[in-house]
Amino acid sequence: MRRRDLIRLGGLGLTAGWTLLAACQSAEPTATPAPPTSTAAGAGMAPTASPTPAAAATPTAGATPTVMTRSQSAVVTIYSGRSKSLIGPLLDRIGQELGLDVRVRYGDTAELATAILEEGDRSPADLFFGQDAGALGALAKEGRLAPLPSELLQRVPQPYRSSKELWVGISGRARTVIYNTERVKPEEIPASIVDFAGNERWRARLGWAPTNGSFQAFVTALRRMRGEDVARSWLEGIKALDARVFPKNSSIVQATINGEIEAGFVNHYYLMRERAQAGRPLPAENHFYTNGDPGGLVNVAGVGVLVTSRASDAALALVDYLLSEPAQRYFAEQTYEYPLLEGVLAHPDLPPLASLNPPALDLSDLDDLKGTLALLQEVGLL
Amino acid sequence: MTASAGRTTIAHSLLQRWSLAVIRPSEVVALVVASIALVPVLYLGWRALEGGERALASLTHPRTTWLVLRSLGLAVAVAASSALVAFPLAVLTERVAFPGRRWLAILLAVPLAVPSYVMAYAVVAALGPRGTLASLLERSIGLTRLPEVYGFFGAWLTLTLVTYPYTFLALRAALRGLDQAFEEVARTLHAGHWVTFWRVTVPLLGPALLSGMLLTTLYVLSDFGAIAILRYPTLTYSIYNQYRLSFDRSAAAALAVLLVVLSAILLIAERHWQRRAAFYRTVGTRRPPVLHSPGWRSWLGLSLVLLWGSFAIGLPAGMAAFWFLRARSLGEQLPGIGEPLANSLLVGSAAGLVTVALALPVAWTVVRGNGRYVSLVDLPLWIAYGLPGIVLALALVSFSVRFLPWLYQTLPLLIVGYALRFLPEATGILRATLAQQNPRLEEAARTLGLRPWRAWLTVQFPLTLPGIGSAFALVFLTTIKELPVTLLLSPIGFTTLATAVWNATADAFWSHAALPTLLLLGIGVVPMALFSWWQERGAERSNE
Amino acid sequence: MSETCAVRLAGVWKWYRGTAVPAVRDLWLDVRAGELLAILGPSGCGKTTTLRLIAGLERPDTGAIEIGGRVVAGGGRFVPPEERGVGLVFQDYALFPHLTVEENIAFGLRGFARQERARRVQELLALTGLEAFRTRYPHQLSGGQQQRVAIARALAPHPAVLLLDEPFANLDAELRLRMREELRRLLRDVGVTVILVTHDRDEALALADRVAVMLEGTVVQVDTPERVYHEPRTREVARLLGQASFVPARVLGRLGRSDIGSFALEGAEDPTEQVELLLRPRDVVLERHPEGLGVVVDRRFVGAETIYRVLLRCGITVETSQPPSVELAIGERVEVRCNRARVAAFAGDERIGLAALLERLGRTRSADTEAPVAGGTDGAAAS
Repeated sequence: MRRRDLIRLGGLGLTAGWTLLAACQSAEPTATPAPPTSTAAGAGMAPTASPTPAAAATPTAGATPTVMTRSQSAVVTIYSGRSKSLIGPLLDRIGQELGLDVRVRYGDTAELATAILEEGDRSPADLFFGQDAGALGALAKEGRLAPLPSELLQRVPQPYRSSKELWVGISGRARTVIYNTERVKPEEIPASIVDFAGNERWRARLGWAPTNGSFQAFVTALRRMRGEDVARSWLEGIKALDARVFPKNSSIVQATINGEIEAGFVNHYYLMRERAQAGRPLPAENHFYTNGDPGGLVNVAGVGVLVTSRASDAALALVDYLLSEPAQRYFAEQTYEYPLLEGVLAHPDLPPLASLNPPALDLSDLDDLKGTLALLQEVGLL
Repeated sequence: MTASAGRTTIAHSLLQRWSLAVIRPSEVVALVVASIALVPVLYLGWRALEGGERALASLTHPRTTWLVLRSLGLAVAVAASSALVAFPLAVLTERVAFPGRRWLAILLAVPLAVPSYVMAYAVVAALGPRGTLASLLERSIGLTRLPEVYGFFGAWLTLTLVTYPYTFLALRAALRGLDQAFEEVARTLHAGHWVTFWRVTVPLLGPALLSGMLLTTLYVLSDFGAIAILRYPTLTYSIYNQYRLSFDRSAAAALAVLLVVLSAILLIAERHWQRRAAFYRTVGTRRPPVLHSPGWRSWLGLSLVLLWGSFAIGLPAGMAAFWFLRARSLGEQLPGIGEPLANSLLVGSAAGLVTVALALPVAWTVVRGNGRYVSLVDLPLWIAYGLPGIVLALALVSFSVRFLPWLYQTLPLLIVGYALRFLPEATGILRATLAQQNPRLEEAARTLGLRPWRAWLTVQFPLTLPGIGSAFALVFLTTIKELPVTLLLSPIGFTTLATAVWNATADAFWSHAALPTLLLLGIGVVPMALFSWWQERGAERSNE
Repeated sequence: MSETCAVRLAGVWKWYRGTAVPAVRDLWLDVRAGELLAILGPSGCGKTTTLRLIAGLERPDTGAIEIGGRVVAGGGRFVPPEERGVGLVFQDYALFPHLTVEENIAFGLRGFARQERARRVQELLALTGLEAFRTRYPHQLSGGQQQRVAIARALAPHPAVLLLDEPFANLDAELRLRMREELRRLLRDVGVTVILVTHDRDEALALADRVAVMLEGTVVQVDTPERVYHEPRTREVARLLGQASFVPARVLGRLGRSDIGSFALEGAEDPTEQVELLLRPRDVVLERHPEGLGVVVDRRFVGAETIYRVLLRCGITVETSQPPSVELAIGERVEVRCNRARVAAFAGDERIGLAALLERLGRTRSADTEAPVAGGTDGAAAS
């Protein structure tokens, strides 16, 4: 009896599974799963400044992307350190628009970069989309990136592209200090991020994520701009203030909103995403350093075309699209990052890119994370 | 160095016997598999040597010693605790006649399917400073400070929750295969139930216990997800950081070589303890294991088992369910789950079959091979198991891109990658199963005119099936949650439940991770249930 | 009777779970103190079950079992194996692989004081000749050595009864014979009651004081080896104990005639017209004779003897075993002489009595077989 029941159950389960599978497969292409806004839309109270996904993705009258060559169903392979939820829909859309077969491998930025280094000359990848400039710099240093046409490079302000013309930023991510508006007055935020250390007002009230890539990029910037000793004493200082360690930036933001901590070192867009998800005002605000302070580092997510690419024309067409208005607006509206294309505006709640005045630093140099790693280990944060 | 020395002597002894034309095909397969498993180690050696001074510097840094100790300490602690937990679980589900014990046994093995970092999130969500327990206690008792979940305690707890099924499954298989004759004889020698249990049954379970603990130790050494979230830096953590931050493959490789040496030491120690195991089965009729009726102690034990089980499954399932319901209430649209689900099932089953098929000759060679060094042929496999997934993945990338470009990033290579990753799980169980078999049965068959392999196939293979099923289930469960190899080696666009979870949690889209996590747990039940059903059938048939 | 009865089974029935046919049915058996009883039967006859019932590893469904006069099973009581004081040796010995020879033997002596334990272990090692192997592990021993360890282990705690389950099944032929002798000697020395289960009749006949024949779950006959061999209760028992030929004989009153001679029927209540006489291979002597009643139809040389198959006039083929001095060819006429005083007489399946051979010579003229027997004709009277 039992046996037969199990067989029946199994058969039932299998048939159910297959029908579900079939249903889902046929549903997927037509479904619009743009996650960041869908959460917002689902919240029922769509924030005023987020248009529907469809509108964002279709080219509007105005700046239409200049397609350099019409590549008919060429295959472009992308290794992307940016997650599928974030840019998947955009890449699919681009593929459709350009008539390309876009195949994306999603993974961790650094792991994928290392994989490309391992693959060497036989790498099947055409394009590398990195979450931060460090990985791009590392690939550039190993000579794996091909020079980009200046036309593309010049669409983006100078600090946000490779000085050796090997990669270009697509969207910007500014370091900020998030603070709880109910507990902290804006004037209390120190004029320089360095001044947080040793400041007793912040004892047991800070949060940071030493394991986070953006933080580590910031520490590298700090090291390069102010020297090892300043960086070390800053790290030790913050640690001595009993700053709470979080695994991710998003946790810092949530903790700030909850009031568990009063301030934290994060990237700007997390708060925007939380606001969109919550659909109501939150007691937290970003503080931007606009005076060239290391705390105002603007890192970029960027792309580079690999020297081994066999579809470089198609890859460049893709880069071209990424640097065109529709794609840039996607980043502005869906991921709340800074669009780097001149003329595309960032989210109205954000200070404009031009006003950010980031520290003078070649982002390529952020690949020297080795020293940062050693420093963090020395201080005992890693 | 141990590996290559062992390899030459194995080759030597095999060569000798080849010239005597008595080499067996299973040994050839075993040698081939072992050689492939050496690829990651060779890759590491090559990269480390490339780095030269830099690599040496990272090795001699005092911090490295500290990390080694932390890794070992955590691994040993988790191995001990998971064995302590798995033992009563196995005994109570195998030897005491509780109603529904088969389903309980199935459910207890399911946490294997949970990625360690998901379990880490769940543990933090439940026991962390802002977690469920904390808010509960605050509301009821007003207790605001809880013992710190981050650090050693959290890492230890999380990894125990994820790894105890290894030992549990191994012990269950061993208990099933245990010859009743030993316990019966002990009873005629004036040993009551308790005494028989402790002085006869438990020592006979030694090999299974050891193999489970070995798996656990190596898994903990190689784990990254859980310790990263719970902030307990280990050697593997440092290796990952070298890859991610410094893009320094040489330094990472050097540290990984250190990990290899650690694993090798542990393996040799375990092998030394295992040497004495030569447990034969009765030639006579097989009697079903005696099921005791539960006394009050058993019921107490059962309640603890249920507590543990609900903790192990409830934490990740509860967290995922919470996310899912919250997403539902917000009216979120979740990404399609059909394709990742199908892919996970496909890949898990394929990996299970291939791994078991490759593991059989290896286990056979280890248990039945003649020659002093032949039993070392599976050492490279275990070493590969102790490596962090990223290392194995990069090694396979490097190797296949150079030598098998047409196979690179295809499904077959991915399956082979999984097989390499999880072979020791299968060989461990199969070794224990084969060791319990009496070669005299085959000899009897051979005197009746059957060729050796045929004799084994007809006589012993049916007896091996429970072990095979167990091995398949284990590999299936660990494959569906695997991440680093999948991310780098799968065909582009190939998503599994594990990559879906990772994609979601990487950017804190918890709601997107909910359904894949629940499904991971869900489909973990399937192979366990099938296997359990099959075992019952096998047991019934052999008692006719 | 209880004092001299080491083990008694009374009306024991046992069904295994889910089977309709009982493994043991209506089993009655008395084992005398100090004797070596062999339970002989084909596989599946329930002999192993019987052993397990005595050991306490199975519970009888009905019936009672006594050991040394104490009821250990039945009537609501059940004494578990650890309290019965029986030693058990399995077919494959089941030596604890994780313990040395010493530790194996000492396993049952945990209740003893340490000195006493050591002394007893030493005693048994000496008895079984295993002193040189005391620190070895079972997998390092040969089959014969393992068997000795198993026996020593079982004997260590002074059991009232020693149970052996096919102890020689795992040994090769030569070793088997040797071990058989050794075991016999050893058990005689120790003086313990032994119940030995086997399907090998040579073993049973050679070792046992008495043989209990079991068929289909019940004991059919318990007797000395000689009686069980020559005077089996049924045909099946006869066949179990060895090669059996049944020669028909005509009976009138208490006298009968057959191709091997005429005889007087003893011990039968209702004499029937037709009986059959049980002949074992060594029970007849063949001699070349032109007028003999037998014809050699087959010849097989097996070394120490030659097996001849002789077709008798009555149509039955008898298998006989002849010493090398007898050399006959196929087709030769032989006279068939029974060299035993008494053979078993069967009517139907049961043995009804014994036939005392009156005429040793089977040579009769054809005319004589027609006439009813009025007494012995030629030849000496049976003794």
